[in-house]
Amino acid sequence: MKRKIALTLLFLSLFSSKAVFSYSQKNPKISPYIQFQYFKNNEENSILKTTLTYSKNRMELPLTGMKIAFFSGSGEKTRLAEIITDDKGVAIYNLKHDSDFIADNNGLWPFTSKFGGNDTIESAISELLIRDVTLNMTLTEMDSIKTIVVGAKKKEKGKEVPVSGETVTLYVPRMFSLLPIGEAKLDETGSSSVEFPASLPGDKQGNITIIARFEENAEFGNVEKKSTLKWGLPSAYSVPPGHRALWTKTAPRWMIYTLSILLSGVWGHYLFAIISLIRIRINAKKKKVEKKELFIK
Amino acid sequence: MFGNQEIMLTEKKLLQDLTPEIETTGIRWYITFLLFFLIFCVGIYALIQQIEKGHIVTGMRDNVVWGLYIVNFIFFMGLSYAGALISGVLHLFHTGWRKPVIRLAELLTVISLVIGPFFIFFCIGRLDRLPFLVIYPRIQSPITWDVIAISTDLVGCFLFLYLALIEDFAILRDYSDLHVKPWKKKAYKILSLGFTGTEKEKKILSNARNVMAAMIIAIAIIVYSVLAWIFGVTLQPGWHSTIFGPYFVIAAVFSGTGLLIILMWIYRKVYHLEEYITKRHFVNVGVLLTIIAAFYGYFTFSDYLTKWYGSIKMDSMLIDKLFHDYYALFIFANYIGILLPCIIIAFPRFRTIRNITIAAVIAVTALWVNRYIIVIPTLETPFLPIQDTRPDWIRYSPTWIEWSLTLAGISVYGMLFMLVSKIAPIISISEMKEEDKIEIMK
Repeated sequence: MKRKIALTLLFLSLFSSKAVFSYSQKNPKISPYIQFQYFKNNEENSILKTTLTYSKNRMELPLTGMKIAFFSGSGEKTRLAEIITDDKGVAIYNLKHDSDFIADNNGLWPFTSKFGGNDTIESAISELLIRDVTLNMTLTEMDSIKTIVVGAKKKEKGKEVPVSGETVTLYVPRMFSLLPIGEAKLDETGSSSVEFPASLPGDKQGNITIIARFEENAEFGNVEKKSTLKWGLPSAYSVPPGHRALWTKTAPRWMIYTLSILLSGVWGHYLFAIISLIRIRINAKKKKVEKKELFIK
Repeated sequence: MFGNQEIMLTEKKLLQDLTPEIETTGIRWYITFLLFFLIFCVGIYALIQQIEKGHIVTGMRDNVVWGLYIVNFIFFMGLSYAGALISGVLHLFHTGWRKPVIRLAELLTVISLVIGPFFIFFCIGRLDRLPFLVIYPRIQSPITWDVIAISTDLVGCFLFLYLALIEDFAILRDYSDLHVKPWKKKAYKILSLGFTGTEKEKKILSNARNVMAAMIIAIAIIVYSVLAWIFGVTLQPGWHSTIFGPYFVIAAVFSGTGLLIILMWIYRKVYHLEEYITKRHFVNVGVLLTIIAAFYGYFTFSDYLTKWYGSIKMDSMLIDKLFHDYYALFIFANYIGILLPCIIIAFPRFRTIRNITIAAVIAVTALWVNRYIIVIPTLETPFLPIQDTRPDWIRYSPTWIEWSLTLAGISVYGMLFMLVSKIAPIISISEMKEEDKIEIMK
C-alpha cells in the first residue's frame, strides 16, 4: 500500500514538474491583428493603410514601430515600400507611380501588406484585390427639390462599365463627426439619386459639404467624393439677451444671489457653532483661574 | 444623595462596558485591519497603473465616460447624507431610543463623506487641472455647485460630530481608571476644550448641537439634490427628470438606514453591546427602512412609468435596454431590493435581529446596483450615432483597476470605522448617562 502511494506521488510530482517546465518553456508570442485598407480621396489620390494591433486585457492596443512591407501584383510581387507603424500602429503608403498598380488577368489590383514578425510577435499578412472605380456626384435642384445624384463606373477589360447594386453612403460633416443623410443604391445605369434634407444648417453663408462614399466595399475599397455648395441654412449665430450657457462670462444674477444667501446662512450657523466652542473653552479657562485663586487664598 | 450615587454607579458601569475597546486591542482587530490594509494596497497599485497608463486601463470610453467611480461616488455621498439626516432628526426630535445608535449615524455621515469624493479624483483624467475648479470657479456649472456643497457639508458634519463628542472626551479625560497611552489622554484633554459639565457649558453645547442638527438636515437635502441635479439638468435619457432631486434623497436615506442596521449588527457582535443595542433598536430602524423603501419604490415606479408611457424615442430605447441587457440587475435593484426588505420587516414573525440585518444588506446592495443602472445604461444610449465607435466601446464593463479601487474605498471605510472606535466610544456615554439619570430621577 505504502509503495502504491509512493509511486502515485512520484508520478504526480514528475507529471506536475513536467507541466510546469513545459509551460515555462512556452512563452506564447503575441498574435497581431492586421487591418489592410485601400482609400481613394476626392483628388483621386490613393493610399494603402495598414493598422497593426494586438489584444491585451480586452483592449485593442497599437503595435508601434513595426516594419510593414507593401507589395503589388500577384504571383511575383513587387515590393513597393517598407513603412514603420506610428504611435497608433498605422503605416500608410501613398500610391503614386504607374508601377504601383499592376493589374491581374481580371483587371484587379492585388496588394499585399506583410508584417514579418519578431521574437515576441507573430508575423501577419493581409491581401486586397481592388478594382478602380470612378465615383461622381452631381448636386442639382429638380422642381425646387435639392437632389444628390451619384454615379459610379468601373473598368472591366479596358472598358468603363456602370456599377450596379452597390451602395454609396452620403454624409454631411458636423461638429464632432459625420452625419449620415442617406444611402444611394446604384441601379443598372450605375446611378442613383437621394433627396437632400432641407433643414440642415450650414455655415454663415449656408455652405455645406456633402460627402459620397463607398465604404469598405469588397471590390473598390474606400472611395470618396465631396462637394461644397450653398444648400444649408445660413446659421448666423447671435447670442440672445439673457442667454445662459456654461461658457458665458458670468452666472445669472439670481443664481449668484441664491447661492450667496444660502452659503451665508449655512456658514453663519457654522460660525455660531464655532463661537460656542470658543465660549466653552473660555469658560473652562476662567473656571481654572478661579479655582487656582481659591486654592491660593 | 442616594440618587447621585446611583448616577455615578451607572456612569461607572457605562465606562466599564464601553471603554475596554479604547484601552486594549485584540489580535482579531489587527488581523482585520491588516486585511483591509492589503486590499487598500492593491487599490494603490491599481491607482498607480491608472495614473501611469491613463484611463485606457479602465472600462470607460468616449461614450461611457462615467463608470464605477461615479457609481461609488453617488453611493457613498448618499450614505453620508442619509447619516446626516438620520442623526439630525434623531437628535432634534429627542427620539427616546436614539442614544445607542446616534453615534454610529454620525460616524457614518463623516466617514462616507471623506471616502466619497476620492472616487471623483479617480474619475478625473487630468488631476493636475483640479485646482482650476477653485481658481476659475464657474457658478453656473452644476459641478461647481457640487464642489461648494460637498466642502460645506464636510465642514458641517465634522462640526456636528465634534460637538457630539466633546462631552465624551471630557468624561474619558476625567476617568481615572482609563488605561490608555499618555498621548490619548492628552488628546482627550485638548479635544474636550476643558469642558467640565457646568449648566452654562451644557446649555452652550446643547444650543450649538441643536442648531447644527437642524443645519445638517437642510444641508443633506440640498447637497444631495445638487448631486441629483448634475444628472437631472442634462438632457440625457433617464436622467432628465424633475423628480431626481427628491428621488435621490429618498434613495440615500434608504441606503443609509440599511447601512446603519449593518453597522449596529457588526458593533453589537464584535464589541458585545447586546445590552445597549437591543432588538428594539433593530426593529425601530427596520421599520424606518420599510417606510423609506415604500417611498423609494413609489419614486422608482413613477420615474420609470412616465418615461415608458411618454415613449420618447431615447427613453424607450433606454427602458428597452434596462429590460433586456440589464434585466437581472434591474429586477434585483428595483423589485427584490425594495420588496424583500419590506416583507421581512413588515411581518412581526420575521422580525429577528438577523433577518432585519439580512434585509438591510439586500437594501444596501440593491441601492448600489440601482446607482449602476442609473449611470451606465444612459451613457450607453447616446443621442447621436457616433461613427467609428466599436460595440465594446459603447458597452461598458469595469476592469480590475476599477474594482480594486472600489474595494480599496470600502477597505478604507472599514479601517476608518475601526480606528475611530479606538479613540471614541461607539456609543455616546454622555447621552446614555443622561438617559439613565432621567430614569433614576423618575
